[in-house]
Amino acid sequence: MRGTGVESPPQPASAAEPAPAREVRFWRLAEWLAGTPEAGVVAAVVVIVAVLTAVNPSFVSVDNLQTMGRDLGQFGILAVGESFPMLTGGIDLSPGSITAFSGVFAAWLNVNAHVPAPLVIVIVLLVAASIGLVHGLFVTRLDVPPFVITLVTLVTGQGAALAITHGLPIDNIDPLFNGFVITNVLGFPPPTLLFALICVAVWFFLERTYLGRQLYAVGGNREAARLAGIRSNRRIVLAYVVSATSAGVVGMLVLGRLNVGEPGVAVGWELTAIAAAVIGGVSLFGGSGRVVGVAFGAILLEVINNGLIILHVSPYYQQIVLGAVLAIAITLDRLRARRLARRR
Amino acid sequence: MSAGVAVRLAGVEKSYGPVRVLNVPDLELLEGQVVGLVGENGAGKSTLMGILAGTVAADAGEVEIRGVRLSDGQPDHAQQLGVAMVSQEFPLVDKLSVAENLFLNRRPAGAGPLFDRRLVERGAEALLRDLGVRIPVHRLVETLQVPQRQMIELAKALGRDPRVLVLDEPTSALGPVESDVVIRVARDKAARGSCVLFVGHRLDEVRRVADRVLVLRNGELVADLTPAEATEVRLIREMVGRELEQQAAEPPPARDPRTVLEVHGLTAEGLGPIDLRAGAGEIVGVAGLMGSGRSRLLRVLMGAQARLAGEVRLRDRPYAPRDTAEAIAAGVGMVPEDRKLQSLLVDAPVRWNLSLAVLPRLARRTLGLLTPRDDRALAGRLVRDFGVRCRTPEQAIGTLSGGNQQRAVFARWFATEPGLLLLDEPTRGIDVGAKAEIYRLVEEAAARGMAVVVVSSELEELMLLCHRIVVMARGRITGELARGDWSKERIMTAAAGTSMAS
Repeated sequence: MRGTGVESPPQPASAAEPAPAREVRFWRLAEWLAGTPEAGVVAAVVVIVAVLTAVNPSFVSVDNLQTMGRDLGQFGILAVGESFPMLTGGIDLSPGSITAFSGVFAAWLNVNAHVPAPLVIVIVLLVAASIGLVHGLFVTRLDVPPFVITLVTLVTGQGAALAITHGLPIDNIDPLFNGFVITNVLGFPPPTLLFALICVAVWFFLERTYLGRQLYAVGGNREAARLAGIRSNRRIVLAYVVSATSAGVVGMLVLGRLNVGEPGVAVGWELTAIAAAVIGGVSLFGGSGRVVGVAFGAILLEVINNGLIILHVSPYYQQIVLGAVLAIAITLDRLRARRLARRR
Repeated sequence: MSAGVAVRLAGVEKSYGPVRVLNVPDLELLEGQVVGLVGENGAGKSTLMGILAGTVAADAGEVEIRGVRLSDGQPDHAQQLGVAMVSQEFPLVDKLSVAENLFLNRRPAGAGPLFDRRLVERGAEALLRDLGVRIPVHRLVETLQVPQRQMIELAKALGRDPRVLVLDEPTSALGPVESDVVIRVARDKAARGSCVLFVGHRLDEVRRVADRVLVLRNGELVADLTPAEATEVRLIREMVGRELEQQAAEPPPARDPRTVLEVHGLTAEGLGPIDLRAGAGEIVGVAGLMGSGRSRLLRVLMGAQARLAGEVRLRDRPYAPRDTAEAIAAGVGMVPEDRKLQSLLVDAPVRWNLSLAVLPRLARRTLGLLTPRDDRALAGRLVRDFGVRCRTPEQAIGTLSGGNQQRAVFARWFATEPGLLLLDEPTRGIDVGAKAEIYRLVEEAAARGMAVVVVSSELEELMLLCHRIVVMARGRITGELARGDWSKERIMTAAAGTSMAS
């Protein structure tokens, strides 16, 4: 009893007529923007700088720019480092803590153990790197969620900073540290230059070496990467080492800036770093994001922070603004992802 | 006989953007029938099923389930009306037991408001017994293999006692024996008055199970056939809209007598001991049921799973890769079973996916640096040579069709110029038209002198492609058949695990 007439009507000649050129152009632009999340951040930076300058010209005074540049050196380097674990699909909650620890550890080595400054830098960076190595090994060998193992360091790192100093700042450190931070080169603060240098190096590594490509692959699909002959575990370990080492670098920048080993610094900085990376288009699921975006994400946060001060907004509101910016960035990111998924 | 109408679709249309993916002016499905539905990927099968199950809202038209109009896009309403669907994905809760999954959204008969483990497990056992599968009901779902999960999905759907049962390629992950169970269940359900919509890739199976076969092409129902009319040739013609040329009955003979792969007493967890040999230009098929160790064998050879003992020689050199990187360096490549999970960087450009396995080699001349020029040149060459249809190599590979994705995966491995190519279900989820091109690639690999080991659940595929077929059961090789010496029956006998004289 097959009483249903199923015939094949003539095929409609679909997709034959050309769409209006304007629409095509619009979609091409939309597609480019969707594939280039960095564009939005750069635009936001430009707009906000323009507005702030219009409201208060002292925002772009050399003095203020140099202050922002020094801040940026700190947040920016943390953010770029943080983006490595995030690219592999993980997260690192320890950078703030490692920053604090490295600073006081360096001060302690220098002042209490009389280790010369250059050697201090080497030792501290090695220690920071090995903390990252431990994170990486826990994540890859023991399958500990990155969130958990780096949380352990978040807590113990701050504790170690307090233990070394017994809660009191360490002063009389080698003037080399402070000198590096305050001696401007052609008007540029060295931390800013260091940040720029690191950005270029990281860009080169991620986009122009096969190890960088493999890092993205591991974040995009760990199993596929493994079956394609990529030693996924090593790439993941590398990511945590990079993140922890950059926190070590920032620790010494902070030490130089304050000119004392202060245990209570950098609390919560890991969240700023994560926020900058996310705002810059690094996916929380791993596998995508570029250093340009992260750099501008950090710049955006710094510009907003500094702008609020210039506008005499109470510091108590700053965190709310930071949270709001992050919320907007995440929302836009998900909308973009959904649009991409729909076109598929 | 209007009482017998289980499903009626009238003027149902669905478009995504400018593309109309489904247009069914009028269709009735009767109770007590198994209706087969076939069509190429993208023909609109999933959309049609989604509309029946309420997960997809139609743009126009109406759907009636046993005389009641289905509210658009409401899965719970469809369920209430008695529609149950078994899909290719398994929405099972990994951390719960088999029994708990089976009773996820309902209580066993006679249970109070409290969770009664005994009653649930007993109910689950009864459901699985009806299916004739033995899976301990207290096991966590995450510990189960894909075919077992498929059976649990089926049991879950049957547990709701559906009046309309939609089976979406229910056998694609199953071996012949389990497939027979599914077919029996479908027939059984129909005999008891339900309507079963059986969507399938394997045409012989659809013909065997169905009382009526519908063919979808470009969203339109183009044929409505009796099983007698639905010959394989006819079905394929209706699906692709053109006659598919007949495959060469014989693969080109393996002319190169050199042995590429030699395996002696290889054991790994759940595998072995295995003895195997493959020569240059030879295509060796591996048949066997799910869980027989077929994929495991390939994974061990690829260095993706640890081996326990045994000796493997590759091109006359000892071969014992500790990881996949060493395997690739030694000249081995593998196209894994699950394209999305094991092969693709779905959101990354086609270019990245193509060069993934050759990155170190691509960058060797330049001290680890990846020059954009070399990278693009490689991608462009592979896209051209392998006929990967894409707008640009920069587009995300997830936007391509299954067949094109698979071509890209083949290109990735050909680019490493392996001596041994391992293929695990190379045509899974690929439509009929594109399959022929994948076969051509496999033959091409052999023609270039690679030894090819191909695992497949489709016996026809192996019998078409291979020079030689080995059959596995319970981790061992239980039979070896040369071309001209095999029949489905002999392969199945060996796959069942009873020893045979080869």
